Amino acid sequence: MNILSLITFIPLLGALIVLLAPKEKERLIQGVSLASSGVSLLLSAYLYFVFDRTSPGMQFVERLPWIPSMNIHYALGVDGLSFPLVLLTTLMTLLSLIGSLGIKERVKEYFFWFLLLEVGMIGVFEALDFVLFYVFWELTLVPMYFLIGIWGGPQKEYAAIKFFLYTLFGSVFMLLAILAVYFNSSPHTFDMMALMNAHGAWSPRFQILVFIGFYLAFAIKVPAFPFHTWLPLAHVEAPTAVSVVLAAILLKMGVYGIMRVSYSMLPLGFAWFLPILVVIAVVNIVYGALCAMAQADMKKMVAYSSINHMGYSLLAIAGLTATGFSGAVLEMVNHGIITGALFLLVGVIYDRAHTRDLSAFGGLATRLPVYAGMMSLAAFASLGLPGLAGFVSEFLCFLGAFPRWKLHTALSVLGILTTAAFFLRMIEKVFLGPANARWAGLEDMNLRELAATAPLAVLMIVLGIWPRWALDLMNATMIHMAGLFK
Amino acid sequence: MTNLHLLYPEIALSLLALSLLVVELFVAPRHNRLLYHLGWMVSMVVLCIVGFTISEGASSQGVGTLWSVDPMSQFFKLLILVTTVLCLLLGLEYKPLEGGHAGSFVCLLLLSSAGMMFLVSSVDLLMTFLSLELISLTSFVLTGFERANPKSNEGAIKYFLFGAFSSAVMAYGISLFYGATGTTRLVGLSHTGGTLFLLGVLFILLGFCFKAAIAPMHFWVPDAYEGAPTPVTAYLSLAPKIATLGALLRLFGILVPASVLELTTLLAVLSGLTMTIGNLTAFFQENVKRLLAYSSVAQAGYILIGIVSESTLGLEGVLLYSFVYVAMNLGAFAVAQVIADDSRRSYKGDPYGLESFNGLAQRSLGLALAMTFFLLSLAGIPPMAGFMGKFYIFSSAIQSGHYFLAALGVLNSVASAYYYMRIAFHMFFKPAATLEAPAAGPYVTGGLALAAAAVLLFGFYPEPLVASVQASAQYLP
Repeated sequence: MNILSLITFIPLLGALIVLLAPKEKERLIQGVSLASSGVSLLLSAYLYFVFDRTSPGMQFVERLPWIPSMNIHYALGVDGLSFPLVLLTTLMTLLSLIGSLGIKERVKEYFFWFLLLEVGMIGVFEALDFVLFYVFWELTLVPMYFLIGIWGGPQKEYAAIKFFLYTLFGSVFMLLAILAVYFNSSPHTFDMMALMNAHGAWSPRFQILVFIGFYLAFAIKVPAFPFHTWLPLAHVEAPTAVSVVLAAILLKMGVYGIMRVSYSMLPLGFAWFLPILVVIAVVNIVYGALCAMAQADMKKMVAYSSINHMGYSLLAIAGLTATGFSGAVLEMVNHGIITGALFLLVGVIYDRAHTRDLSAFGGLATRLPVYAGMMSLAAFASLGLPGLAGFVSEFLCFLGAFPRWKLHTALSVLGILTTAAFFLRMIEKVFLGPANARWAGLEDMNLRELAATAPLAVLMIVLGIWPRWALDLMNATMIHMAGLFK
Repeated sequence: MTNLHLLYPEIALSLLALSLLVVELFVAPRHNRLLYHLGWMVSMVVLCIVGFTISEGASSQGVGTLWSVDPMSQFFKLLILVTTVLCLLLGLEYKPLEGGHAGSFVCLLLLSSAGMMFLVSSVDLLMTFLSLELISLTSFVLTGFERANPKSNEGAIKYFLFGAFSSAVMAYGISLFYGATGTTRLVGLSHTGGTLFLLGVLFILLGFCFKAAIAPMHFWVPDAYEGAPTPVTAYLSLAPKIATLGALLRLFGILVPASVLELTTLLAVLSGLTMTIGNLTAFFQENVKRLLAYSSVAQAGYILIGIVSESTLGLEGVLLYSFVYVAMNLGAFAVAQVIADDSRRSYKGDPYGLESFNGLAQRSLGLALAMTFFLLSLAGIPPMAGFMGKFYIFSSAIQSGHYFLAALGVLNSVASAYYYMRIAFHMFFKPAATLEAPAAGPYVTGGLALAAAAVLLFGFYPEPLVASVQASAQYLP
């Protein structure tokens, strides 16, 4: 069995074992879950060492007939665009599972859905056949629905069904678009690699229509303005670990789709949409940041900052340069790490204080020094402080977008300013000032919470000081992709 | 040359069904279950006979070409028989039917299946009409079989009144058709325009719409489905619908093709209407049987898309979707029956109310997951088999340029996800009144497991199904 299949399906194996385990054996269930996603992470870490950094094409390709009567294949592969995201997915899922060890209610179901979710997320980034891609894409939907709806906050049911229908609405149009490209390729194929070379025969009108179909699905996932309205609700209601994967990985599926499909497969449609895309990116950046500024709830604030950060990725893509593309992918990875950490940390304080209201706290730095340090580190990384991960990718994003979109890039800088403002305000309100006596009894982070967040903190620093090891992974592919646009 | 041997399976089924009436005389009421066992065994035997004819690869037409036996008709016959077997298994454990008259019940069900087998082979309007009547008359009685239940009676009466009306309309349509063409045979129909012909065809179509519960002829569905004993509801939502759609496919996809009479637009409108009305009405249902009734109306709309596209792909799509539909809808009804049987004992309210599903995930995770799989499959979400069905159907629509219909279809799928997930909502999100798992007998469990396996297996690995559907999509002109 090919290594990519193993990475994808070992969590499925874990999920099946969890399903068969009696529900009282919570230790066993947690152990199996951690082990299976741990093996998945180890295997993808192994790939990091054997990944060929000079090749722009697909590597570790596995291709088997799946439904030969319809020319559908089971095809997996990774390149410089998808491999960093696969690494991110396996890492963040394991850390979220560690973060979930505190779940007490219906443990078996929780870990079952979570592992199933991991299968879908990894699969989306690896699939090279459109039907397979679609199956994995939708596979993330159902577990997410249950994870939000069962273990979420007060409005969980509404948040779950809103997320479900919103995303499904987008993805069914993607299905139509997939069918449209299938019937307009000769020979008819769902092979994504072959379809990337098929657009020569497609008229601009066709490409624009298909582009819109795909874009609906991707934009809802990103989420790009004006399709972002599901996100704050889903994030706020979801349990901590689910917010983490939602922000760190599920949003990336949208940007990944835009780069892999919309840009590479439909150049004329993309060119038509480009002026709109860049405006959407600026709106995401500025509007997302302003919304975050207006929030009193810490989790909601982080959720809106995700909208803002995804805007950087979109802006960088619109730049159409290799630098921009690298920036976009690195921004996805960094945002995954940083926002994942932020959500975990917000969860830490919520578990103790049962509130996330910014103004309810004050002077926590004296009570919880470790927590305050971690949170400040993540906030500084998120606002783009040089030396930390966020700075590198945001810098690359702006650098990549500037040659083509000077005015838009300049406007987007406002977003950075606002991001700095709301994170600093959060640090001030929560950690500085006179200590609020109400929280005198709070305990600092425990070992489990540290185990989930410390690796992320290390990555924030390492990626900030020496981002080359990550950039080298994507470089060849990004240069190749930038050369596609004429 | 008489080709009566082509109808041996149907003849065998009818004779065995009638003989069950005689057998009933010699079976003591307390051994009622024996008759059900005999019933499904009979269906299995006939199933095997049909299976053998398929492996022979024979396809030919009968005397005076009243009937065609070809891979397509055999596929539908197999599907009908499978449905019959599974519904009889459900019937074995359906509590309110334990009273008596098991022989008549099984006999009527089998006769109805025989009618459907005739129907999917028929290439002559006379034969079509006769088989439709056989199906209708038996279905009326089956619907009202729970005599002590007023709802059952109400459903049967409504069903009967609607049915009698639509039969009359159809008979009138056939007479007009005969007046215009001078024949009731559909094979080799040459071009015949004119108002008379058009009117005749429209009336005939109306009759079909009634049987397949296609809007605007679907009004009998919710009451009949709600009132009928659950195994009958499952049966009615599957077998007659599939058989009628199969006949519709033969009639308007093959025998009266677009070159003779352009009905594509009309069928497309019917399809869109059926999906939309079915789904939108299902939103407001609080009773699982009614909810599934409206959902089955919508499902017929999806299948119609395949007929509208008039292509090989569309034809294959209809076959594939029908197969998948049997598995997922039957599974959903089986779970509903288990839950209702359980809540009839403990719970005061409507046993089929959505409330009776509350907290099923904590009572029996397996049952709740199985139901979730069926519901997701009905909503067309991968990796369930229902997705493959929808995928095929929508492919055919895109291929033949019905973009608008395809878009309407996918939007309907999204809307339908809302009410399907409402059941999931009750199963997973609501607290359970008791933690005791609902009791499910061995036969229902077996049927359920079979359906769940089909839904999952053909979702992950649809190749065998796709291949056999492609082989079955051959027909005699």
